[in-house]
Amino acid sequence: MSALSFSPHLHININRNPKLTPKRRAKPNKIRVSLQTTFPQATFSDPFVIQLAESLEDSLPSSSSSLPQPLPLQKLRDSSSQTLLSTPWPSRKDEPFRFTDTSMIKSSQIQPITRPSSSLDVSTDAQFPSLVLIDGFIQNSALNLSNLPDGVYVGSLLGVSDGIMKRVSDFISEFQCGDLFWSINGMGAPDLGVIYVPAGCKVENPIYLKYLSVEGGNVDSKKLPISNPRVVVLVEEGGEVGIIEEFVGKEGNDCYWANSVLEVVIGKGGKVRHSYLQNQSLNAAHIKWTAVRQETASGYELVEVSTGGKLSRHNVHVQQLGPDTETELSSFHLLVSDQTQDLHSRLLLDHPRGYCRQLHKCIVAHSLGQAVFDGNVKVNRYAQQTDAGQLTRSLLLEPRATVNVKPNLQIIADDVKCSHGAAISDLEESQLFYFQARGIDLETARKALVFSFGAEVIERFPYPSIRNQVVSHVKNLMGTTDVSFS
Amino acid sequence: MAAFLPSNPSTSCCSFKFSNLPSKSHVFTLPALPLLCRRSNYHRHHLSLNRVTAALSAVDSPLKSSSDGQDEKSQPLLQVTGLTAVIAESKQEILKGVNLLVNEGEVHAIMGKNGSGKSTLSKVLVGHPDYEVTEGSVVFKGENLLEMEPEERSLAGLFMSFQSPVEIPGVNNIDFLHMAYNARRRKLGQPEIGPIEFYAYLYPKLERLSMKTDFLNRNVNEGFSGGERKRNEILQLAVLGADLAILDEIDSGLDVDALRDVAKAVNGLLTPKNSLLMITHYRRLLEFIKPTFIHIMEDGRIIKTGDASIATVLEEGGYKAISGS
Ligand SMILES: Nc1ncnc2c1ncn2[C@@H]1O[C@H](COP(=O)(O)OP(=O)(O)OP(=O)(O)O)[C@@H](O)[C@H]1O
Ligand SMILES: [Mg+2]
Repeated sequence: MSALSFSPHLHININRNPKLTPKRRAKPNKIRVSLQTTFPQATFSDPFVIQLAESLEDSLPSSSSSLPQPLPLQKLRDSSSQTLLSTPWPSRKDEPFRFTDTSMIKSSQIQPITRPSSSLDVSTDAQFPSLVLIDGFIQNSALNLSNLPDGVYVGSLLGVSDGIMKRVSDFISEFQCGDLFWSINGMGAPDLGVIYVPAGCKVENPIYLKYLSVEGGNVDSKKLPISNPRVVVLVEEGGEVGIIEEFVGKEGNDCYWANSVLEVVIGKGGKVRHSYLQNQSLNAAHIKWTAVRQETASGYELVEVSTGGKLSRHNVHVQQLGPDTETELSSFHLLVSDQTQDLHSRLLLDHPRGYCRQLHKCIVAHSLGQAVFDGNVKVNRYAQQTDAGQLTRSLLLEPRATVNVKPNLQIIADDVKCSHGAAISDLEESQLFYFQARGIDLETARKALVFSFGAEVIERFPYPSIRNQVVSHVKNLMGTTDVSFS
Repeated sequence: MAAFLPSNPSTSCCSFKFSNLPSKSHVFTLPALPLLCRRSNYHRHHLSLNRVTAALSAVDSPLKSSSDGQDEKSQPLLQVTGLTAVIAESKQEILKGVNLLVNEGEVHAIMGKNGSGKSTLSKVLVGHPDYEVTEGSVVFKGENLLEMEPEERSLAGLFMSFQSPVEIPGVNNIDFLHMAYNARRRKLGQPEIGPIEFYAYLYPKLERLSMKTDFLNRNVNEGFSGGERKRNEILQLAVLGADLAILDEIDSGLDVDALRDVAKAVNGLLTPKNSLLMITHYRRLLEFIKPTFIHIMEDGRIIKTGDASIATVLEEGGYKAISGS
């Protein structure tokens, strides 16, 4: 349906020279675009997508500079543009988007951001080595990389050694399960952030990735600047690292679209602790991919707290590539305004003695708020003696607040320990009463209990400073700053 | 001297005095009550009506053992009259006309078979939403308790330790205590205190209960053992204070040392002004905290009231020895 509807708002110069690579891209697409045809073409090209792809290509720094792009980026763009040719804009009829309406993006004037915003003073948490991406562009001036062990690299792909370049090349664009937004990012990412941890290296301090959206329109303008930040984390055998991703807008409630991708590759016995904070503007679209490949006996832990965005979607894809591998995903989504928060996760266990735990919690505190959770855990035939658990709990605090949850544990192996559950609840009356019985009024009790619902996830952030930051942010949103629980 | 007080509602002191009053709490007029009860010492009044039970005939009147000549000053603190209550959901009646008077400075104990309604009575008194009061009245410190919200009852000085306290995941124990303590201070018109000041206030109380400090940083009751939960309830009582503390089976699940700690803490909180209502199955607690009166509850009523010796009778002869009357 929406694949056919051509949006007149799209801010694209159709008459420009077609540059979209590769050349084998068929002319018919072009013709369809210019004709704005209405015949069925969902399995072929979607003119809206093609136009978007072209405008992204035009916006890339490479199109104006004569420097050759590093091979991995080129590879990524080629494969992405190829995919975009045959990927329509998702509609509500497509299962992965059944509950998630992306028309807010589609009906806006999408504008690729062509250059990094100049001379912006970005403060980062000075205690951690950090990498700042402004509208998807890596700010070299804001790198704070003191105290990193030898051999660890944090920065733009343009600065990596040949060795690392080769490793990145091995993995880039190998991932086959992405969707349209994955490919849009691959097409539009102006650079690639790289975090490389050599074999056996345990990085003590977590690496802080700050994604800042600076360009933005106001709600009435319909302008929607798009940024495509992309980072790859490569941890070699036995390496360990923590990463903290934080997504924020500039002050205010700007409209923008952050379309971000993080790829994580964890070598044998390696470990990655991933903290993810999404505090975007309440008028922003935030689409995020986290794709993780875990070798034998490796560990991956994700702790997510998402509160921002008018439309926010986190796609998590984790694949265990060897036995004795551990994965833990914990997410807390808080909706305090007219917004959609979506978590689509997929965990693939193909090998013996895997372990995975997933906890999803959400609070919908606005009558027009909608939370979506589609969590698929697939335990395949060879994944014997797997221990898998999945739990989702939602708290609806307003009469028409909506939640669509689809926890889904698919088990093909037979020797498997599994638990799963889903609950949509109100606050526990017995707990509320316990507060009252100690002289605490109902309103305060409710706030404390609502907060505690999310605290179960917040407590899992491995770093006290992040925990405290999130606690005060969440309390702020819930209007519980007056409550004296420290 | 007689020791047993028949608590048949029709003859029990206050209800017979008020037998013509409307039984709904809402229409109860308060001022008359304290006067009446203060003047005529109702327990004494009843001794004359008592049937003497041979086994206990040597025991002193409960009044003598408790009041030590303070009778004239002792004011009613809690006055429960003809209280009936149902389970809100099913409308099943659990309390079937409870009468109880607790004066200032008195220690009472309620005993009774499992399921007789002891916990229900205490929960109804603190305003638990699982129950609805259908008849009767409850006056606490001269005010109609049944019209107060649960938190107002607490702030008015009524404390109940739960038989099975709930876990509250995600809420820190010390934060919870701090919130409750500051709510109390607000009520008293005192400025709220910060976390450090509060910790200084809290620490000695924690020590007195032999509780480890790491309890404070755990979530309220989460993963606490049975005994730890009970101690935590008493810690809350110690922090908040109360004019009337209702302790529902505070002794069950406690080891000997813990029982001594808890009893010491509770005794330390007793003053000539405040009172205690303990629910228990065992005499052991009553040896640590000496009750003035023991009430026996059966099928939603208090069927007998007597002095501490009732516990001995119970322990030796079981409830048969009492309800057989
Ligand atoms: N919320 C409730 N829902 C259903 N039944 C209830 C509820 N509360 C109390 N009851 C029933 O009322 C009766 C009295 O219960 P209560 O807990 O007051 O007994 P108790 O005297 O405290 O017993 P125990 O000595 O075992 O603690 C029991 O039969 C109990 O099952
Ligand atoms: Mg009980």
